[in-house]
Amino acid sequence: MEEKVLEILEEYCEEALDYTGDNMMEEGVIDSFTVINIVSELEDVFDIEIDAKYVVAENFRNKESIMDLVKRLVDDE
Amino acid sequence: METDFERVVVIGYGKAAGEILKYIADRQADYGYLLEFIEHELHALSVTAQICEESGIPFSSVPDRRELGVYLKEIQEKTLIVSASNNYLFPASLVEKENIAIINFHNALLPDYPGRNAPSWVIYQGEKRTGITWHYVTVGVDEGNIIIQKSCEIGPDTKAYELAEQLMDLACEGFFECFDAVLSEKVETRPQAFSPERRMYRSTEIPGEGFLNLEEEPDKIYRLLRSVDYGKTGVFPPLQTVVDGKRAKILRYRKIAPEKKKEEADMLYLPLADGNLLKIKYTNMSDEVG
Repeated sequence: MEEKVLEILEEYCEEALDYTGDNMMEEGVIDSFTVINIVSELEDVFDIEIDAKYVVAENFRNKESIMDLVKRLVDDE
Repeated sequence: METDFERVVVIGYGKAAGEILKYIADRQADYGYLLEFIEHELHALSVTAQICEESGIPFSSVPDRRELGVYLKEIQEKTLIVSASNNYLFPASLVEKENIAIINFHNALLPDYPGRNAPSWVIYQGEKRTGITWHYVTVGVDEGNIIIQKSCEIGPDTKAYELAEQLMDLACEGFFECFDAVLSEKVETRPQAFSPERRMYRSTEIPGEGFLNLEEEPDKIYRLLRSVDYGKTGVFPPLQTVVDGKRAKILRYRKIAPEKKKEEADMLYLPLADGNLLKIKYTNMSDEVG
C-alpha cells in the first residue's frame, strides 16, 4: 500500500516525498488543487471513498499522514 | 507612486485571494495604504489566515453577510475593495458610496457566463476557450466596466477544478498588470456589451440538473462529469443516474485506455469518440425508479 501511495505522490507532488515537516499545506509544498488530484487517484487505485470530512489539512500534513488516512479507509472497507 | 486610496480591503478565498493578498502586501510600501483581509466564506484548505499571520496583515472572519455589509459601510476612508474569488454580493448602498471602489474577479470572459460556477458551465456547454475578467463592481451582478481580461483554452479532458485553478492563475496575472492603474484611477475601462440572450447562472443551478442520462452520447456525459468535478469541495451534490431501473449516485469517473478495462461491480464503461473508455463508478441508492 505504502508503495502505491508514494507512487501517487511522486506523480502529483514529488516534493512531498522529501518533505520531513509537519504541515505541507501551510508550507506551500502542496495546494488544495493538488490535494483534489491525489484524493481522486487514491480513490481510484484503492477503490475507496474519501469523504469530504477527511479532506482537511490535518490528513495532508506529510506523506505519513496521507498513508495513515489511506490505511484507515482501506481497513474500514 | 501615489494613490488617493488610503485603505485596501481584500475579500475572498483560495489560491487567487492568497496570491493577490501577498502581492498587495508587497506593494504596501510603494503606496502607504492600510491593508486588511476579510474571510467571508470558510474553506477547509484555506491558507489566507496563515498568510495574514506571517505578513502581519489584519485578518477578520465575517461569515455573516449582514455583519459584513455593516462593517464595510462604516468605512470612512477612500477605500479599494478587492473581491477575489468571493461570492458575497455587495449591496447597492455600499457600491454607490463615493469613498468606495470595488473591483471583482469573475472567472469567465464577461459579458458571457455571468453569475456562479462559470468554469462548470463553459465545460458543460463545450466551449473551447474561456478566461477571466477584472471589472468594477456596480449594482448589477457582473455588469460593471471591464478593467482587464485574460483568456485560455479549455482542454478536452479539463475538469472544473483544474480550470478553476488555471483561471485563478490568470486572475493573479491580470491583477498584477492592472493594480497600479486601478490605484491611480487611470484605468481605461470598457463597458460590457450585453446580448438579449445573456443569462445569469445562479448558485442553485447544476449542469444537467444534476442528472446523468446514460442515453446521452458518452462525450456529453463526460462533459457533464467534468463540469461538476470540484473534488470533495461540495460545490455540487454528486450526480445521480438510473442503472437497471435503480437510482444510483455517481462516485467517480475516469477516462481510461480500452486495455485497462476491468469488470468490476457497480462500474460502467462507455466508449468515447477518441477511442478511450469512460469508466464510471456508482453506488445504488435504495429506491427503484417507478
